[in-house]
Amino acid sequence: MGKKELGLLVLVLVIGAITTALNPRFLSAVNLLNMANLIGLFGVFSIGQGLVIITGGIDLAVGSIFALLGVVFIDLLANHDVAWPLALLFVLVGGLLIGALHGLLVTRAKLQPFVVTLCGLLIYRGAARYYTGDATIGFGYAEGLESLTWLASGRSFGVPNPFLILVVVSAVMAVVLHRSVFGRYLFAVGRNEEAARYSGIRTGLVVAGAYIVSGGLAGLSTVLLVFYTNSVSPSAFGSFYELYAIAAAVLGGCSLRGGEGSILGIVLGTVLLQILQNLVNILGIPSSLNFAVMGGVILLGALADQELARRAKVGVVARA
Amino acid sequence: MAAPLLELDGISKSYPGVKALDGVSLRLGRGEVLGLIGENGAGKSTLMRVLGGVVRPDAGRIGLGGRDRAHLTVAEAQAEGVAFVHQELSMFDNLDAAANVLIGRESLQAGPLRLVDRRACRARVAPLLQRLGADFGPDAPVSRLSIAQRQLVEIARALSVDARIIILDEPTSSLTLSETDRLLAIVASLRNAGTGVIYITHRLGEVVACADRVLCLRDGQVAGELPREGIEHAAMTRLMIGRDLQALYSPPAAAPGDGGLQVQELVTSAFPDRSASLHARPGEILGLAGLVGSGRTSLARAMFGIEPAVGGTILLDGKPVQIGSARDAIARGLYLVPEDRKLSGLVLDMSIAQNVTLPALAGHSRMGLINPASEMRAGEAQRAALRIKAPHASVHAVTLSGGNQQKVVLGRWLSLKPRAIVFDEPTRGVDVGAKGEIYALMRGLADRGVAVLMISSDMEEVIGVSDRVAVMHEGRVAGILGREDLSEASVLRLAIGAQA
Amino acid sequence: MNRRQFNANLAGAGLAAAALAAGVRPASAQQKKLLAFVVNVSADFWTIARRGIEKANKEHPEYEMQMIIPAQASAADQRRILDELIARQAAGIAISAINPASSTDALNRAASQAVLFTTDSDAPASNRLVYIGTDNVDAGRVAGAQMKKALPKGGKAMLFVGTMDADNARERVQGIREALQGGNIEIIDVRTDDSDFARAKRNAEDTLSRYADLGLMVGLWAYNTPQIYQAVKQAGREKTVQVVGFDEDALTLRGVADGTVHSTVVQQPFEFGYQSMKGMVRYLGGDKAWIPANKQIIVPTRVIDSANVAEFQGFMKQILRPS
Repeated sequence: MGKKELGLLVLVLVIGAITTALNPRFLSAVNLLNMANLIGLFGVFSIGQGLVIITGGIDLAVGSIFALLGVVFIDLLANHDVAWPLALLFVLVGGLLIGALHGLLVTRAKLQPFVVTLCGLLIYRGAARYYTGDATIGFGYAEGLESLTWLASGRSFGVPNPFLILVVVSAVMAVVLHRSVFGRYLFAVGRNEEAARYSGIRTGLVVAGAYIVSGGLAGLSTVLLVFYTNSVSPSAFGSFYELYAIAAAVLGGCSLRGGEGSILGIVLGTVLLQILQNLVNILGIPSSLNFAVMGGVILLGALADQELARRAKVGVVARA
Repeated sequence: MAAPLLELDGISKSYPGVKALDGVSLRLGRGEVLGLIGENGAGKSTLMRVLGGVVRPDAGRIGLGGRDRAHLTVAEAQAEGVAFVHQELSMFDNLDAAANVLIGRESLQAGPLRLVDRRACRARVAPLLQRLGADFGPDAPVSRLSIAQRQLVEIARALSVDARIIILDEPTSSLTLSETDRLLAIVASLRNAGTGVIYITHRLGEVVACADRVLCLRDGQVAGELPREGIEHAAMTRLMIGRDLQALYSPPAAAPGDGGLQVQELVTSAFPDRSASLHARPGEILGLAGLVGSGRTSLARAMFGIEPAVGGTILLDGKPVQIGSARDAIARGLYLVPEDRKLSGLVLDMSIAQNVTLPALAGHSRMGLINPASEMRAGEAQRAALRIKAPHASVHAVTLSGGNQQKVVLGRWLSLKPRAIVFDEPTRGVDVGAKGEIYALMRGLADRGVAVLMISSDMEEVIGVSDRVAVMHEGRVAGILGREDLSEASVLRLAIGAQA
Repeated sequence: MNRRQFNANLAGAGLAAAALAAGVRPASAQQKKLLAFVVNVSADFWTIARRGIEKANKEHPEYEMQMIIPAQASAADQRRILDELIARQAAGIAISAINPASSTDALNRAASQAVLFTTDSDAPASNRLVYIGTDNVDAGRVAGAQMKKALPKGGKAMLFVGTMDADNARERVQGIREALQGGNIEIIDVRTDDSDFARAKRNAEDTLSRYADLGLMVGLWAYNTPQIYQAVKQAGREKTVQVVGFDEDALTLRGVADGTVHSTVVQQPFEFGYQSMKGMVRYLGGDKAWIPANKQIIVPTRVIDSANVAEFQGFMKQILRPS
């Protein structure tokens, strides 16, 4: 565990302790399991976002992807009686394809990631709204979804499945990012694309790979989120969720300049964000302050991080 | 001559392990052009940094504007009218010429907003550019200006602050011959206007053309001074070198073999209407000389697949190879040690081991997962073999000195199976001790049967290390010199396009 | 290709171009007059209203009737839509105003160019000709009465809504408070979610975990009740926590059917759509007599509880079936 992750963990524990002191129900099993569920929901796609940020890019389209894939997914299940494994496959492949498209536009057409995914944000949102004619879409009276519903929103051994899915996804992605050749290339390309190219790395492929993974995880998250709310309003579903993901990744130590970050950090960042949202409700802070609390704590975290980094640097110089 | 504008007396500056300046004295009068010459690393830049207030000398006296000081600050240097025209131009190429000249001193409009008065700015800059004979106006965007034109903008900036001392640092390294002539004329006009000019260059011809006096530095000391009538090539070379260039040379162990790296009629995007051919044989070091911008680096990038060639053939050991990317080149044992190791060579915040294995991770991984032990072994092996000064291969590359960083770049290729290696400016920014080690490594590679192509702008290096030298001029190979024909004069003649 | 076929193709292309032009610029002279129905956010609620509009359009095919849903549930977005409708020379506009107090200017600008009705959410300060919709204070009172029935012994209640800057949210809360006056039901707080469904559910979940003694949860907007329903079910608190809702989401109705939701107060959006369109047509035809002096036509609310839920579900299924 690096210093950044350790600092974040301390922050999580301190905020958790303060909240518990103010209202012990924060630590009740029910509340913890609810939070675990939400951490699972938001963690999966934050990891994808983190990978993209490590390459020096950004994925602003995540929330709109949820809306588009979400309405199609529900429509397939509720109105077209498609078997759920097929619908699931469709959404996952759809996510991968959207990611591949972004990767292609970034690496082949040489467009800036911000521009590509900003356009994605607008296009997919519009497509989702057009698809349902702006109507909220729900499962209505669809049947035969018990196993999928259980998979995406049930519990195993008392633990919410989204959280278990996050555990599996982060374990796999931690190996990919920190132990595999692809992960090493991600860091190399993110930190110094030129040097990576001179080392014979197919930098385009590596960058595109990050977007594809991000798209695939967005597809998976779509399914989890759809079963959390059970209905999708195409104009509001997943709106701004890309910002939660970016915030989690940045809190977790991903640098927007690229080449830095860890899976553990991103997961801890997600945990912190969810705790912040939970404590607003648990402490009875007015809902209207929700975002302000989040922004304030992130800002404090960033300032503290900067200050610690500066002190570490001064320490090194003093020793030299 | 009246009282000197500038008088440096006994300036010394030491860095850990290096005495960069050792009692250097220098005098510059009004309306005088002082040529400052010396090899790379002789102390010219350090001396000028002292003058600019960037480096604080350990000892000595700076007499400037009628006052003696032990050291200057940047602000004091500017206030005393010291202006630099840098080797690597530092401009805002998203702004126009006038904005660049007046940056930080813009004319402002009256009124509460204090907006920039563009018209007034341009009116202030236009006469300066006119005086320099510029063929562009103050509203020309800098991004559209050539290197020579940008230099005029920098000189105009110096004039706009009424600089009394202008320091030109390698001003012609990227200029064509006619542009160089124009610049020399401007230097002459500055002198006539009473400005003191310090002209730093490697090009002795320019010194002959414009300097009133020449000061030569060598190893941090003044090697000698030549008055106007004594300025001629042989005398300057003697002062600069002070020893025999041939001493660096160690001969190959065996006669060069066949095959190696061969390019035939290679066309690069930098010179789409020219082509270059050359042949680095296994067992020899082929030097590749030429002025900056003569197409050497483009050639290297084409050979290594960074910017694939537009036309022509690359042969390795006699067989034509298709190289469309660095990956292709590496797969065939053709490697490049790039010119800018921080930008293109290394991922600075990765460890030595990680940098060494970056192009060859397949050999240190199984099913896509890296074996950290194997990677560390490879890093340690190169750290020991190349005597990289670091306690361990897990040390980050950013903490290493230039020479040791260069060894890391080299180490990554040595851990593979090289057939040909292109070195682009292998010792730029490398201290003297490490230079010798890198030359020995290059010779060792050649003796192992590797074809070595060394691009260098350092004349001492080109002449001292190469078995043969190919000289490029404007995109084509102007000539190839054998060891017996090698001299500074013969290389330079080919480089500037004169007939051999 | 023979000549006749060529001509046919040419005609086809011309037709397509004309259709395209019609789609892009519907304000040309021989164009049908446009009647727009501007809503606040996408919801099934408005799908029902759409059926009403469709019915009206069948009766008056000489008009083009459109439902417009803002990209964001914001007053600013609605203002943009109004400006665009004026530019398109819409003949009539019915709007569910998101923030009427601050939108008076924009609404009046629209009212000066077109027939302006409000529906669902009124803007009494503006020059709108008539409001056709629910009296939300009254709807709140009805819900308050349901809350008392659900929790006869009193207890703690939590309210859930998207944002409190919508008048219908404020009015419903006001009505509920009026109805509960002097009773023994305590309203702890109103939690808001900015129309983010996931946040709506989280608010419900967190409330359940924070208050062990919670007696009642009330969803003020259509999507709130289904999220409350799911949270209550998942927490296994159906026995101890009562739910009162608004509107007729499928899950809300299922909750009423299975007893988790005590009752839901439904408006009649079908009538909003139908009566607004009919009214605008009549007004444009010169018939203004039907507008009452107080300029309000209140469409009454209905209470759906275990007694009538089955019948209502059947009605909804039929009306929401893709036409």
